[in-house]
Amino acid sequence: MSTPDPPTPAGAPDAILAPYGELWLKGRNRGEFEQALIRNLRTAVKEISPVKVERGPGQILVFPERRAMEVADRMGSVFGLSALYPAWGVEPRADAIAEKAREVTARALQAFPPEGQISFRLRAKRADKSFPMISTELEQHVAESVLPDWGDRLRVNLTSADLTVGIHVRRDRAWIHAGRLDAAGGLPVGTLGHVMCLLSGGIDSPVAAWMAMKRGCDVSYVSFHSYPYLGDATRRKIARIAGGLSRWQPRTVLHVVPFTKVQEAIRDGAPEPYRTVLYRRMMQRIACRLGERVQAGGIVTGESLGQVASQTLENIGCIEEASSLPVLRPLLGFDKEETIRIARRIGTYELSILPEPDCCTVFQPTRPVIRGTVARCHEAEANLDVEALVEEAVLGTEISGQV
Amino acid sequence: MSLIYLDNAATTPLDPEVRQAMAPWLDADFGNPSSRHPLGVRAAEALDAARQEVARALGAQNGRVVFTSGGTESNNLAVLGLARAAHRHGNHLVIGEGEHPSVRDAALALVDEGFELDEVAPTAAAFSAALRPSTVLASCMLVNNETGVIAPVEAIASAVHGAAPRARFHVDAVQGLGKFELSLRALGADSLSISGHKVHGPKGTGALALADGVTPVPLVFGGGQEEGLRSGTENVAGLVGLGRAAKLADERQSESHRHMSSLWEPLRAALAPLAGVRILADETGSPTTPSIATLVLPAGPPSEVVMHHLEERGVMTSAGSACHSRNDAVSPALGAHGLSAEEALRVLRISFSCSTTAAEVQTGVEALVAVHRTLEAKVR
Repeated sequence: MSTPDPPTPAGAPDAILAPYGELWLKGRNRGEFEQALIRNLRTAVKEISPVKVERGPGQILVFPERRAMEVADRMGSVFGLSALYPAWGVEPRADAIAEKAREVTARALQAFPPEGQISFRLRAKRADKSFPMISTELEQHVAESVLPDWGDRLRVNLTSADLTVGIHVRRDRAWIHAGRLDAAGGLPVGTLGHVMCLLSGGIDSPVAAWMAMKRGCDVSYVSFHSYPYLGDATRRKIARIAGGLSRWQPRTVLHVVPFTKVQEAIRDGAPEPYRTVLYRRMMQRIACRLGERVQAGGIVTGESLGQVASQTLENIGCIEEASSLPVLRPLLGFDKEETIRIARRIGTYELSILPEPDCCTVFQPTRPVIRGTVARCHEAEANLDVEALVEEAVLGTEISGQV
Repeated sequence: MSLIYLDNAATTPLDPEVRQAMAPWLDADFGNPSSRHPLGVRAAEALDAARQEVARALGAQNGRVVFTSGGTESNNLAVLGLARAAHRHGNHLVIGEGEHPSVRDAALALVDEGFELDEVAPTAAAFSAALRPSTVLASCMLVNNETGVIAPVEAIASAVHGAAPRARFHVDAVQGLGKFELSLRALGADSLSISGHKVHGPKGTGALALADGVTPVPLVFGGGQEEGLRSGTENVAGLVGLGRAAKLADERQSESHRHMSSLWEPLRAALAPLAGVRILADETGSPTTPSIATLVLPAGPPSEVVMHHLEERGVMTSAGSACHSRNDAVSPALGAHGLSAEEALRVLRISFSCSTTAAEVQTGVEALVAVHRTLEAKVR
C-alpha cells in the first residue's frame, strides 16, 4: 500500500451528510416531508451553488458543485435537519476507506492545538449490509491504519472523544467525516401549513415568526403602515427584517397594510383607553382576511404576557376575539432577555434596534386600558364601520414577494 | 405632483454643468492619475485643475488642498490628524457645542487616546476661557447645520492663535460654501473642510484645505496619493465635479446669498397664518445663514409627522428630531438655543439652495400651514 498524498488543508468536502431530525418519525407523511425539506434546501443554497441531492434512509447527501463549506453553513439554517457532516467519499473497500480515514483524520487534527493528547474514536455504520465486514471489524481495521500515524497524540476513548471520525458505508460509496456542524432542527418549513405573522419593527415579532417556521409553518408577514404619520424609512426597516428572516425561510412575502384610516377612525370615534386594543383587533381581522388567499391556518404574534402594561390576559382575550383564526403566540412564556437571545442568534436583533419609529405617538392613548372587556370593544366598534375599514385596508394592501 | 425640494442642507441636486464636466472622466478618460502614460497624465492634470478650482474657492492658494471622500472624512482628517500630529506638544482639545458628529465623535475618539476635550459655546470668550498651554487643536463650525447660526470664527481664530500659539484651528465650512466668501487666510483657520454634494456637486467628494506648513497625520495609508495625506486612487470624475461645483459656488456666492435672503420674505408671508410658529433665526441674537430656516412649530403634532404629511404633497423638508428616540436628549445644537426636548420634537428645518424659487417657498410653506392645521385638528 502506498502512502497517501498529504491532505490539502483547504480540501473541500465532496458532500454534506445530513441526518433528518424529527422528520424521521413522521411515518406516513415522510415522503412529503422529505420533498419539502429538499425543496427548501435547494432554494436556500441556490445563490451559493447548484447541488445534487441523494436521499438515504434517515438522511440526505448533498453534493455542492462549488463552495461546499458555504453550502454546509447555509444548510445550518434549513429546518428539518438534525446535524451536518462535511464528508469525503471513497470507493467502498476496506483499504480505501482506511486510507481516506487517515487523510481526513490528519486534516481534522490541524484544527487542534499542536501540543497535547486528543481523545479519539471511530464510528462506522453500514447502510449496505453486504459489506464484507461488520461495523466493529471495519472500525478495528481503520484504527489500525490511522493510529500508528499519531503515536501518543491520539488516545482512544469510545464514550466521549474530542475527535470522532465517522464512516458511513453505502453500496456505491463510503463517506468519511470528522466534524459535526450545528443544524437548525425543527421541521421543514411549509409542512405544517401556512400562517400570517404580524410583523412590526420591534424585536419580538421576528422571533415569533422564526419559532413558527421552526415548527414547520410557512410564514407570510403582515405589517401595518400609517403613512404619512410614519415615513418610508419605517417601511424599509420592516422589509429589511423580513429579508433578514429569509435565511430561515427563503420565501418572503410581506403584506404592507395601509392603516392610517383605521387608526384615525378609532382615534376619532372610540374611547381613548381602548385605542390600542381596538387597533390590534383590526389588525387581527385584516390579517385573517389577507390569510384567506393562502388558506392560512393561524395568526402568529410576538405577544407575551405582561411585557407591557397592556399585555394582560384580558387584553389578549379582547384581541383574540376579533380573529377568525387561531392566534399563536410562540413567545408567550419568554422573558425579554430570552427573546433577545434568540433574536441575536437568528440575525434579526441588529435590524430590530435600528432607530425608526414603529408607531406614531399621535395615535397612542395616554392611559391605555389594562383590563379590557370584549363587551366594551363591541360597544366601541358599534360606532365604526368595521367591515368597510377592513375591506379598504385589505384592498389597499401592497404585497411584495411571491405569494 | 411636482417636487418642491426644501432640504438643501441635507444634499443638493447635481448641477448639469458639473455633470457635463464629469462625463468624460467616467468614459474614455479613465486613466489612473498615478500612471505615467498619457491617459494617466491627463487624469493627473484634471485633478490639478480641480485642485486649483477648490483652492481658489477656499482662499487657500498659498496652502494645500487634500481631496477626500466628503465632509466627514475632511473633518476626521483635520481633527484626528492634526491632534495626533501635535500630541507631543500637548493633549488638550476644544470644540464648539453643536459641532457635527464628524468633528465631535472624532474628538471623543481622541479622548480614548488620552486627549482631554472641552466643548464650549461657539464664542471667542468661551474658547479663550477653555484654552490651555497644552491645547493642540480647536475646532468650530462656520455655519451650524441644524440652526443656521454663524459662529464668529475669525474672533475665535484670533483667540486661539493668541492664547495657544501651538494649537491648530479647524473650521468645518461644509454649510458655508456657496453662501459666504470663504478664505482660509481671512478666517484665520489652519484647515477648512468642504463637501461636494452640498453645493450641487457629486456625493463622495470633499476637500480639506490646509494652511501652509500644516500637516495632519494621515488616516488612510497606501500608495501615497494626495502627498501622502490621503492614499488611494483618486475619484477623478468625482473630484473634477467637486472642482467645478466649488468654482460655481464661489462665483455665484454673493448672488446666491442675495437670492436666498430674498426667499425669506415669501417664507415669512406664507408662514404668517400659522400662529405661534417661531423662527430660530429671529431668536438667536446671532447672525444666521439665509440658506437655513429652522422653525419651531406651534404645539401640536411632532415635526416628523408634519414632515411625512408634507412629503405626501411633494414638499421635502427635515425634522429636527425623531419622535421615537427613547432617550429624550435634545441635539446639542438645539439645546444650546434653550430648546426643551418637547420643543425639539417640533423643529422643522427648511433649507434653500441658489436654485430654490420664491414660488416653491410659497407653495411649500402654504402646504406646511395647511398640513399643520389639519393635523392639529386631528391630534386634539
